[in-house]
Amino acid sequence: MDDPDPATSVSPVQVTLHGGDLPWQPVSPNLTRVRLITLALFAVPAIIATVVVGVLVTRWALLGTAAVVLVALWVAWLISRQVSAISCDEEIVIRKGRLFRSLVSVPYGRLQYVDIQSGPLMRAHGIASCEIHTASPESGGSLPGLPVAEAEALRERLSARGEAQRAGL
Amino acid sequence: VTEAVIRDEEWQRLHPLSPLLRGGVVLIAVIGYVASQFFDRFLSSINLDGILPGPDIGIGPAGEDGALEQVVAHPFLALLALVLLVAGVAGVNWVAWRFSRFRVAGGQVELRTGVLFRQHRQVRLERVQAVELSRPILARLFGLASVVVQSAGGSDSQLALSFISLNRAEALREHLLALAGQSEVVPAPADHALGTPPAVGDAVASPRAPVVAVPVVEVPNGRLFVATILHGSTIFLGAVLFAGLITAGVLSVGPLALAGVPAMLPAAFFIVLGRGKEMLTHGNFRLVDVGTGVRVTEGLTDLRTMTIPLNRVQALEVIQPIWWRPLGWWRVRVNVAGVGSSGSGDGEGERETTLLPVGTLDDALRVLTLLAPRVPASQWNDAVLGEGPQRGWQTSSARAKLFDPLSWRRNGWSDTDGAVLLRSGRLTRRAIAVPHARIQSLTLQQGWLQASRRVATLHVIPAPGPISPVIDHLDTEAAHDAFDRLNERARDARRGAGPIDPPLAPDPAGLVDWTQHPSGVPEPGRPDPL
Repeated sequence: MDDPDPATSVSPVQVTLHGGDLPWQPVSPNLTRVRLITLALFAVPAIIATVVVGVLVTRWALLGTAAVVLVALWVAWLISRQVSAISCDEEIVIRKGRLFRSLVSVPYGRLQYVDIQSGPLMRAHGIASCEIHTASPESGGSLPGLPVAEAEALRERLSARGEAQRAGL
Repeated sequence: VTEAVIRDEEWQRLHPLSPLLRGGVVLIAVIGYVASQFFDRFLSSINLDGILPGPDIGIGPAGEDGALEQVVAHPFLALLALVLLVAGVAGVNWVAWRFSRFRVAGGQVELRTGVLFRQHRQVRLERVQAVELSRPILARLFGLASVVVQSAGGSDSQLALSFISLNRAEALREHLLALAGQSEVVPAPADHALGTPPAVGDAVASPRAPVVAVPVVEVPNGRLFVATILHGSTIFLGAVLFAGLITAGVLSVGPLALAGVPAMLPAAFFIVLGRGKEMLTHGNFRLVDVGTGVRVTEGLTDLRTMTIPLNRVQALEVIQPIWWRPLGWWRVRVNVAGVGSSGSGDGEGERETTLLPVGTLDDALRVLTLLAPRVPASQWNDAVLGEGPQRGWQTSSARAKLFDPLSWRRNGWSDTDGAVLLRSGRLTRRAIAVPHARIQSLTLQQGWLQASRRVATLHVIPAPGPISPVIDHLDTEAAHDAFDRLNERARDARRGAGPIDPPLAPDPAGLVDWTQHPSGVPEPGRPDPL
C-alpha cells in the first residue's frame, strides 16, 4: 500500500492519491495527539474491563484484552501515518485517509462559505478544523487539525480567493 | 397585452380570490361535509317522514339533529348566522388579499404577505433558476394560475405568486425570464438597465417577438401509462400475485391462499398510489423549445408549465430501467440548482427535474441535443448503447471485474466539447453529461479493497439534484489522469477561456433568439454569472 504509484513518476506535477512530489502541507502534529487521546479514551477502559474480568472470572477474557490492544495499536499506527494535506494554486486539494484514501479538489471560485470549528480537546491543543462548502452538499471538504491562527488565515485567504475567482454555480 | 398587465416598479396585488383558493381544499371539504349532512337530513325528513330515523342517528351525534331542528325553527337566525359566516370569511379573505403584494423592481422580484406575521421575500433576477406556471384544478376553474420563481437555495427557496389571472401570469413569466436572461447577458449593473421603463419595454418585446416555440417532444398518455406500470414495484407485486396463484393452483388451497391477501393490501395500496401519482404528474407531457430554454407542460389535473433556461442546467442524465428495454424507452432528467434537491419532497423533485418521463431513443436524443447542442449525437449514441474503450471512451479494465462483474466494460467516461460524458450500467443503462463549467468539485476515492485491485472511483460533483455522476472503478492511473484532465477542463471553463460560455447554451449562429437579442451574444471573456 505504501509503494509510490507508477503514475507519479510519469508526470511529477500530477496530483495523486499517494501524494506525488508536490509540496503538501502536512497537518499539525497536535492533531495526531488529539486523535490518540480520543483513541485512549475508548481503548483504556476496554482494556481495564477485560483484564478485570480475566483475573476474576475466566482467563478467556484475556483474549479480548489482546484483541483490543491489537486493534488500538493498529488504529494508532493508522492515525500516526494519516496524512491530511493541502496544496493551493487555483483549487484547494485535500488528500486524506490511509485505509480509505480520498482526494478532493475544490476550486476557490466555487466556495460558498468556510466554517471553523474546534472542540474542547482540540482547543486545548490549539488546533481547529476548517470546513469548506460549495453549492453541493456532497462536495467540499474539511481540513482537520490546523493551528488556530493558521485556520483563521486560511479562511481569510479562501474567502479572498473565492471572491476574486467567483464563478457562482 | 404585456404592457397592460405588467407594471414594473409598482406594487401589484394578487387576484382577489387567491386567499380563498389557497385554502381551497379545506373550504370545499367543509362545504361538502355540511351540504351532505343537510342533504341527508333533508331527504330523510321529507321522504321517510321520521319513520326510519335509525341510520342517521347512528352516524351523526344527537346535537346536530337538534341543530337542524333549530334551523328549521328559527330560519332568520340561521340566515343571519350564514350571512355572518360568509362576511367573516370574506373579511379575512379581503384583509389577506389587501396585505399581499408583489412587484418586479430594482432587479428583483418581491413578495410581501401576512398581516400579523409579515413576510417579505425577494429574489434577485440574476439568481432566478427557473420560472414555473402552476395551475391546480381549483384555480383552473377560475382561470387563474400561480407563478413560482425558483432560485438556488434550500428546499424553501421559491417565491410563489398564487394566484393571478392566466394571461397575466403568462406575461409575467415571459417578462421575468426575459429580465433574468437579460441580466445575464448585459454586464452593466442590472439595476440601471431595469430602472428605466423603455429598456424594460424592449426587453419584454424583443424576446417575445422572435421566440418561436418549437414543439420537441410529446408523450402520449397511453405510452406513459404502460411505462408507469412497468416499474420495479408493480413487477414485484405482479410476481408475488402470480406466485400466490400458482401455489394456490398447485396445492389447491384456494381459501387458504386468500388469507395472504389482506397482508398484501397496504403494500399494494402504496404501490398503486405511487404509480397513480406518477401518471397524474407526467400526464399530457409536452416539451417545447423556446430558444433560450425549454418549456415543459405536464399534469393530468394540476397542469404545470415550467421553463428552464438552458444555461441553468447543471447536469443531465438519460436512463433506461431494465423493464423498458424491450420497448426501447428512455427517461431524461436534469439537475437544476435549488430545484428538486433532496431537501424538498421526493415527488416534487421528480416532477421538476424530469424533462422526458418516457420516450423513444429518438425522443431522448432530441431532448439531449437540445440541452447540450455541442455534444455530438454519435457521442450520445455511444454513451447510451456502446461499451468498451472505443472512440475516445475510457472504461474500467478487467481489474474492476470484482466490483462490476456485468458492467465493467461499459462503465467509463469520455471528454467532449464543453461537457464530460459518463456512462454506466449494463442492465439499467445510464448516461450522464456534466458541463465542464458546472463541475463544482472532484473527488477521487479508493478503499482498501479497491487499492488491492489498483482501481479508484471518481465523483464529478455538480450542483445537487437527482443526478450524482460517478465513474466507478477506473484503473488508478487512468483515474488520476481523469482527475487532472477534468480539473484542467473545469479551470478553463471557469476562466471563460474554454470554448463555451455560457456552458450549454446554443451556438450563437444556430438559434434565432441569441442573434436577435438586443445585446447580442455574451462576450467570451466574462465568467458566467449564476
